[in-house]
Amino acid sequence: MKIKIFPKNEQEFSKFFIVLIPFLFLLFGGISLAKESYFLFVNILPQNNVFNYGFLDKLNNHITYSLLLSFLIVFLTSYLLPKTLGRRLVIFPIFFLTSLGVIGLESLDLLLGFLFPNNFYSFGNTSYTMIFKVLIFFAFVGLLSINILAKKEASMFISAQYLFGAAIFYGLSLIVYRGNFAVFSDNFFINSIYVSTHIYVGYSFVFLALLHFMTTKGINGTLYSKTLGSISFWGYLFLLPWTNFKFYFGSVLPNWIENISLYLSLSLALPLLAVTVNFFKTVTTRTEENKIIYGLISFSFGVFVVTNLFQIVSSLSNIIPILSLTNFEIAIRYGYVFSSILISIAFIYYLIPKIFGREVKFTRLESLTVLIIKIVVAGTLFSNALIGIISGYSWNAGANAGNPTIYGEGFGLLWSLISTPLSVNLFLSLLLLLPFFLFFISVMKALVNGEITEAETVELTEEELPV
Amino acid sequence: MSELLSKVAEILNAPESLVQRSAEARAEASGKSVDEVLQSWAGGESVAAVEKTVEEPAPVEEEAPVEEEAPVEELATTDESSIDIQKDDDEEIVQLLIEEELVEAKKESSFALLMGVIGVVVFTYLFAFSIPKQQSEDLVLESLNNSVRVSEEILEGATIYNQLNCQSCHTQNVRVLIPDSQNGKVLKNRFANKNLILNTGLLRLAPDLSTLASREPTNDGVWLKKYLTDPTSVKEEIPHPSINFLNEQDLDYLITYLLSLGSTNE
Repeated sequence: MKIKIFPKNEQEFSKFFIVLIPFLFLLFGGISLAKESYFLFVNILPQNNVFNYGFLDKLNNHITYSLLLSFLIVFLTSYLLPKTLGRRLVIFPIFFLTSLGVIGLESLDLLLGFLFPNNFYSFGNTSYTMIFKVLIFFAFVGLLSINILAKKEASMFISAQYLFGAAIFYGLSLIVYRGNFAVFSDNFFINSIYVSTHIYVGYSFVFLALLHFMTTKGINGTLYSKTLGSISFWGYLFLLPWTNFKFYFGSVLPNWIENISLYLSLSLALPLLAVTVNFFKTVTTRTEENKIIYGLISFSFGVFVVTNLFQIVSSLSNIIPILSLTNFEIAIRYGYVFSSILISIAFIYYLIPKIFGREVKFTRLESLTVLIIKIVVAGTLFSNALIGIISGYSWNAGANAGNPTIYGEGFGLLWSLISTPLSVNLFLSLLLLLPFFLFFISVMKALVNGEITEAETVELTEEELPV
Repeated sequence: MSELLSKVAEILNAPESLVQRSAEARAEASGKSVDEVLQSWAGGESVAAVEKTVEEPAPVEEEAPVEEEAPVEELATTDESSIDIQKDDDEEIVQLLIEEELVEAKKESSFALLMGVIGVVVFTYLFAFSIPKQQSEDLVLESLNNSVRVSEEILEGATIYNQLNCQSCHTQNVRVLIPDSQNGKVLKNRFANKNLILNTGLLRLAPDLSTLASREPTNDGVWLKKYLTDPTSVKEEIPHPSINFLNEQDLDYLITYLLSLGSTNE
């Protein structure tokens, strides 16, 4: 295993992420466990500026939604973009430095969070790191654009489209993050658009970029329809940024934007249908029969479909009062995150022989890893959706009874109902550490002890930019 | 012809429609019939690619060399050099097919894609964020009829509340009680500070604090201090973190802020 500090090309740069992303998964699992523990066992655990639920929740949000996502976007760009464009990345050294800037600033935020816990991860952040983040991310988007314009392949592979969409909406979410708070509704505006552009678009586009790559190159399938691919791309691109406002239905947001959000969330059925048909028709043509990789791809797709169904269900006007502004929305966020994580695991297994020239042997270790992670993901989605329904129902019942607040006896009743699924959440986050640890072991085992196999050779053109 | 076409498609491992189009193109270029082209491909013998010779006047014998019209049966007994020719021809045909596919795929413009995506991003920013946000601010400015002054101590307390991330569990006026009131009930002065605006719960798991100061026993500062530093002293099973790591002054600011939370819809 040889990783260069200053990689010469995209493939060498990708090696860095194959080693690092299993670490990030472990970090994500560890902080999730700490957060859940501090939520449930708050009275028996020590409290200080760092070890308290409030800080750990912010930390968990930063790692899950910013750090991991930025690493995945840079990783996919460095490996997938040259493949889909048929050429080496234009001015790779600048791309490398910009990518380091993107992931470095997100990592720096994490470090600063420990040093200054009180100022960590808050909206309306006007710090210098935030300004640098916006600037460097737009440089990154600019480089992506130059590369796409200079493509050598005649057609545009769908993965590249999704990557560009993910990157540009990530940039937009950073601008929104710095939005000015003047009146009460600003809080909801900034929260809504940030969550939908950063988490919904960011993670789902990373997932869809990988899905299109893995169903074709990963398992040797033939893409069923480019038209359906385009329908799903433009559909999600246009609809997803609007879908979070519905969770603030009946709040201080203007009515028109709440209603539009409901209708556009319902319209998610269209791109979902397109991507589902394309997926099933494409996987039937597969010639590679790796059960682990195919299992991960199909399960991650299942999670993505369920998440979309959650979005659609939560936009039905009769259900809105129960589901809006509850943990149900957290289930949706987890759905997008987990679908990307699952398919990333398949992607890393696929890439190890290609990039490192080491064979991955799919033994019981890998089967166990995949089995446990599937159980955890399904359980987490179900548990959070259930908590969302219970808390929403309690709130609604309280409001109808004339008391809009969950207080005193009302809260006691709510707590008795949700403490069981919350305990399940804690158990699941403990269980999640196991597959992440096993995955880490599996990757390291393949990299160190895997049988040597033929690595992929890059045969991409390196021509000058067209004038 | 369809049998022949199927056979060629099978040999070349390419779709029939593509093979037919390629054969037609080759036939037109070489001046042969499509059947002849297909037969030659099926037998491994190529029809001369005479694109260049069509433009330049060439001797008749060069247009259709007799050697190239070898019958299929003869191929079985050809020597190694003719097998090599056959391979070259196959490669040439496959190359032709690939080129034709690429020509079809050239319609996609990356510039149009980039402009389309940037257009959607700008549209989203304007119509889902910038314009409605401004609209809300304007509505609030028009309805300033109940200003509330907020002291420095309350603002300090709100900042600490925000930094501790209390709003992660607690709510404060998540939903307007009078649906029609919309933005008119929210006052600029009351919520003009970022830290006050951020004190809005999302999860709705812990009690709503918007009326905290109007209830027993939370309207008592001494009780609040005892509760925040050691929640179990009030109720053993209570799932609330103990905020015992704050210094005395910050704790006082926090309590001052909490005691300022009066009625809903402020």
